[in-house]
Amino acid sequence: MTTVKHVPIVKKHKKRFNRHQSDRFMCVDASWRKPKGIDNRVRRRFKGQAAMPKIGYGSNKKTRHMMPSGHKAFLVHNVNDVDLLLMHNHTFAAEISHAVSSRKRIEIIAKAKALGVKVTNPKGRVTTDV
Amino acid sequence: MSYPATSDLLWELTRSNSSFLVKRKTGGGIRLSRDPLNLRNVHSRKHSGTVNNQAIGIVPSGKGGISLLTKKSTGSTITQSYKPSKTSRKAYHQIANSTTKKGYRTDLREDAIARASALIKSYRKPAKPTKESKPRGSKAKQSAASAASADL
Repeated sequence: MTTVKHVPIVKKHKKRFNRHQSDRFMCVDASWRKPKGIDNRVRRRFKGQAAMPKIGYGSNKKTRHMMPSGHKAFLVHNVNDVDLLLMHNHTFAAEISHAVSSRKRIEIIAKAKALGVKVTNPKGRVTTDV
Repeated sequence: MSYPATSDLLWELTRSNSSFLVKRKTGGGIRLSRDPLNLRNVHSRKHSGTVNNQAIGIVPSGKGGISLLTKKSTGSTITQSYKPSKTSRKAYHQIANSTTKKGYRTDLREDAIARASALIKSYRKPAKPTKESKPRGSKAKQSAASAASADL
């Protein structure tokens, strides 16, 4: 279940890139759109302006898609999907799909435990005491 | 087509889509294979059992044993089963002897033994039971308070 040793995961920009002036107007949504105007100060990268997303913010290829545990997520819908991860339990962790019932979740978790596969969401629907 | 399809043609046909292929978009877009004759469950030319003339597979057999599947170049697949025993080394020897020493790809030997080992390991009961996680934060306070009230 432990992962292979890897280079430390570095996130170069943890904050979201919000669209310019989305904080000022209700009708301007926060999803990123590149400013195109001729005088736009964000586009011209003036001092003190919001940073624009660019390829340099990308993660190291070796740690891309990696969770803090060092695994990558693999979506499983049933017990047979867990079997696929038998030889990949150091690199992939099972993530149970949202529409799976609690009865089947218990079977999936038991199988994953036998195969040494990490489950990212083992508590979902299984624990009931609140 | 009267002559048998070559491995290369079969691979080109099954490469992008087949019933064994499992694609996922998360985790960088992995492609796995459900092929029983695939030792690492990786969808690749080397590991694909349907495509290659000769292929090896290790699958669980009933009652905690493992089965070695070997596909011959004639197309027939032979199953040899190994019962669970105290020493798994014997089974590994037999796997190596009946595959690598009989002209199967030598670079699949390690995968075959790794898979057999992983399967045998999965039948064992865990040495340590999983620890019950301690409550933290507000839940810890709640449980402490309920324990204190129970004492009174």
